[in-house]
Amino acid sequence: MAARPATPASPKNSKVKAPQPGQPQYGCEHVQRLFNQDQATTNTSIQHYKMILRSIFDTTPLIPQTAKPMDSAAVTILTPTYLCLQCPSTLTEEDRAKHGHKKAHRFYVDSRSGGVYCQMCDDIVWDPTFEELRLRKIGTGTFSTNRKRKNEDELFAADPSKESPQYISTNTSIASCKANGLRGIYNAGATCYQNVVLQSFLHNPVLRNFYLSDGHQSSNCEIPHCLSCAMDDMFQDFYALENTNGYTAANILSGFWISDKKAFENLVTTKEQDAHEFFQFLAEELHERNGDGKKPETGSEHSCNCIIHQTFYGKLQSTTTCQHCGGVTNQVQSFLDLSLPLENLTQKRGKKNSGAAKGPAHMTLTECLDEEYIKSDKCEYRCHNCNSMQQARRQTAIKRLPNVLSIQLKRFEFKQGRNERAAKIDTPVHFPLQLNMLPYTNRARGGDVKDNYELARSCTYDLLSVVVHVGEIDTGHYVSYCRVGDQWFQFNDHKVELAQKSDVLGAKAYLLFYIIRSLT
Amino acid sequence: MSSETGETGKAGIIVAPEGANSMDKLAHSVLDDLLYNIVHDLLIKVHRDEKMARAATAAIKVEKLASDASESSTPDAKPDVRIETDAAIYEEGKVLLKGNPLKTTKEILCPRCHLPRLLHPTDGKGAKKQDQSIIYCKKHPYIEKPGYDIYGQTWVAPGPGRGKKKKDMEKKLDPDASPAPGEGGAKDRPPNVLSFPSATCSKCKRCILVTRLNNHMGSCIGNSGRNASRAAAQKISNGGSNGGSQNNDNTPPGSQKGTPLPASRAASPRKRDGDEFDEDGDDSDPNNPKKKKPKPNVLTKKVILKSKSQSQGQGPSNKKEKVKANSMLSMEQRVDDEDSKNSTVQVAPKKSTPKGTSPIKKLKINPSSKPPQPTSGPKKGSKRERDQESESSGTLSSPPQ
Ligand SMILES: [Zn+2]
Ligand SMILES: [Zn+2]
Ligand SMILES: [Zn+2]
Ligand SMILES: [Zn+2]
Ligand SMILES: [Zn+2]
Ligand SMILES: [Zn+2]
Ligand SMILES: [Zn+2]
Repeated sequence: MAARPATPASPKNSKVKAPQPGQPQYGCEHVQRLFNQDQATTNTSIQHYKMILRSIFDTTPLIPQTAKPMDSAAVTILTPTYLCLQCPSTLTEEDRAKHGHKKAHRFYVDSRSGGVYCQMCDDIVWDPTFEELRLRKIGTGTFSTNRKRKNEDELFAADPSKESPQYISTNTSIASCKANGLRGIYNAGATCYQNVVLQSFLHNPVLRNFYLSDGHQSSNCEIPHCLSCAMDDMFQDFYALENTNGYTAANILSGFWISDKKAFENLVTTKEQDAHEFFQFLAEELHERNGDGKKPETGSEHSCNCIIHQTFYGKLQSTTTCQHCGGVTNQVQSFLDLSLPLENLTQKRGKKNSGAAKGPAHMTLTECLDEEYIKSDKCEYRCHNCNSMQQARRQTAIKRLPNVLSIQLKRFEFKQGRNERAAKIDTPVHFPLQLNMLPYTNRARGGDVKDNYELARSCTYDLLSVVVHVGEIDTGHYVSYCRVGDQWFQFNDHKVELAQKSDVLGAKAYLLFYIIRSLT
Repeated sequence: MSSETGETGKAGIIVAPEGANSMDKLAHSVLDDLLYNIVHDLLIKVHRDEKMARAATAAIKVEKLASDASESSTPDAKPDVRIETDAAIYEEGKVLLKGNPLKTTKEILCPRCHLPRLLHPTDGKGAKKQDQSIIYCKKHPYIEKPGYDIYGQTWVAPGPGRGKKKKDMEKKLDPDASPAPGEGGAKDRPPNVLSFPSATCSKCKRCILVTRLNNHMGSCIGNSGRNASRAAAQKISNGGSNGGSQNNDNTPPGSQKGTPLPASRAASPRKRDGDEFDEDGDDSDPNNPKKKKPKPNVLTKKVILKSKSQSQGQGPSNKKEKVKANSMLSMEQRVDDEDSKNSTVQVAPKKSTPKGTSPIKKLKINPSSKPPQPTSGPKKGSKRERDQESESSGTLSSPPQ
């Protein structure tokens, strides 16, 4: 545990954040004094704070969690420690006062949150300058304003254009305080499968930013019955009107009926349909309205820069290794979502548990992901080297992570032959609020990433919305949960209600949407 | 590793029983520390939200005083005055805090409209009476009350008189002393009781009750717009291979969900021509031109666009359509019967409509959380509407709950 250097070499002078209207300039009078001593003090304070944040968020927790009281041996604790902003000491809460008394050091950083504690206030202070650095560290991982550094990395999708939260707030600031995007959508007759997908789009920050910043202006679009225009109108109505009544998605519906997507002919009926299929339909439709015009073929490495590609698309790489000659073939393809089969795991569980506890065993999302993107399977393939069919091992991993990861848990299994009946798998699948996708990337195959906390953090996703199918396969109903800030809401057609995290996590999810943390 | 001087971790809540061995004690103390961390993290989060909101409030107040005190006519310029309140100082365009905003500032002003925030919901869990003399920011705490949504709204059931005669309904309603939702439409209904709106069909421009919109479009657009019959024929010749999955070999079995029979689509929407239903009173999207759009230039265009469609929505209906609507009832029934005949799966008992079509089934799944209420159609009440209401009550498409 090397001590932080006392005076980090910095060619530039650190600046205090410029005053903003409606915000105090400093977190408290004492921070004010700290920043008004001289430039050198300001420089060291800010440099130290950055270093402390790095040590908290980018290293093994062992470092910030180890306190070294002045007169005894180092001690590692689970509960928060306090890192002195003015010297390299790390202290327990008990020793903090002593240290302050002895050294006249007044500011300490909480090792769990990175928040600054002011000893004179005896309270955490949320100073705008420090807070900006802390939020950037938690978000993008860097202290600079953009993610440039990451853009060169093919592991990550490029930042969606106009992502800046400031941009969005300035663009919507004229709207009423009441217009917050929280409205139900009326069921137009077995259309709840559409409503849940529309809600998940409406509360997807990337799509919201796109439409609210006039990414596709319905007033400028010539295409008749354009679904992207219908989305634009819907976003405007949700985020700019004070209306709290349910929304009637008439234009979406007629766009849907008019669309001539052959692949989705099945979908277009007056009957209840599969929400996942509607998601695919809507994504493809919006890609065609906003994108390069090419069909988003699966199986190819289609790169398009439209809003749908920016939001949902990632890349998978499957590596096939010939068991005979050891030759390796890589194939890359784009994906809109990850479809995770539940059937195999359910059966395995069933066997394991047969005789013992009855009832459906539960699984976890990570188990399902392990099965698909860590484990390999056997297959036959035509090897170029051997010039013949050979046994091979195939392994699939994620090559590029999308900004919004959508996951389908294949709850509906279609048994070919046997009366062509579809069945629903009701096994609960536990899913987390935070999901680390690093283990499923091909980066994780490459080298030792175990201790790369920075990389792991940049592969962290937060749960954004959950689509749930309740009831029987043919007669069921869809509801969804979406998160707005820290609050969860349940959307049941026209009705919006508050939801607890436990409601969300207890739901038998069908579709899951996760957003990469650096965008939130 | 552990330096606990006490019996357990920092929270002091999870304590090992007396005489427990040291591993037991360690486990309890670790768990206790983790509990402490959870509480700590929650507290930090709430603390941050609250303290920053109060600090901003102190800043907004002192800035307001400063701009009031300045003689400058330009509102945006930083006034050259010094103002001091109990919570903050305004000086040279900067706001400096005095003391801890959690102590100095009690209310929270909205950073956007600068009006005070209502701190408690007006109804349901944790509700408090609001001070009527104060104009609050329009962003209110969300309401948590069974049977109501986050805005404290509830809906009249679209058709409890379903299948009953109009007269029955009227009789039933008449003696109802309480402000029966539905009686005569919106006027007698409390403002938080909403009804299902209507919308305009983009093709025929008729105004359709929202719950029937999908069915209507199926027949109105489905036929010509998508060459349904051609597609149907093709599908039948494909022998039910469900060509829909061609786009994606990942397409889950879910594609077939809800349509286990190959030609389900062909069977359904064609014959529903009678679906047109004239309804009035689109109260869903009253698009008030005063409402602000993110961008002013877009605003005008969009508002025009919408008010046009709305005026269509509210356009006077003519009697012909009413008659049509009437006759449609029997039609709908027939179609449904046909559907279940064609269906290769579960020949449904007569009462139930085919797979998932009818939200009536959903009602079964979600035993309605709200007692059925006598109802009316759209808000703007008139005799004509009530007529329609009772007519529509014979149809099978009602939204869940
Ligand atoms: Zn110190
Ligand atoms: Zn202080
Ligand atoms: Zn368009
Ligand atoms: Zn695209
Ligand atoms: Zn080979
Ligand atoms: Zn406000
Ligand atoms: Zn029509």
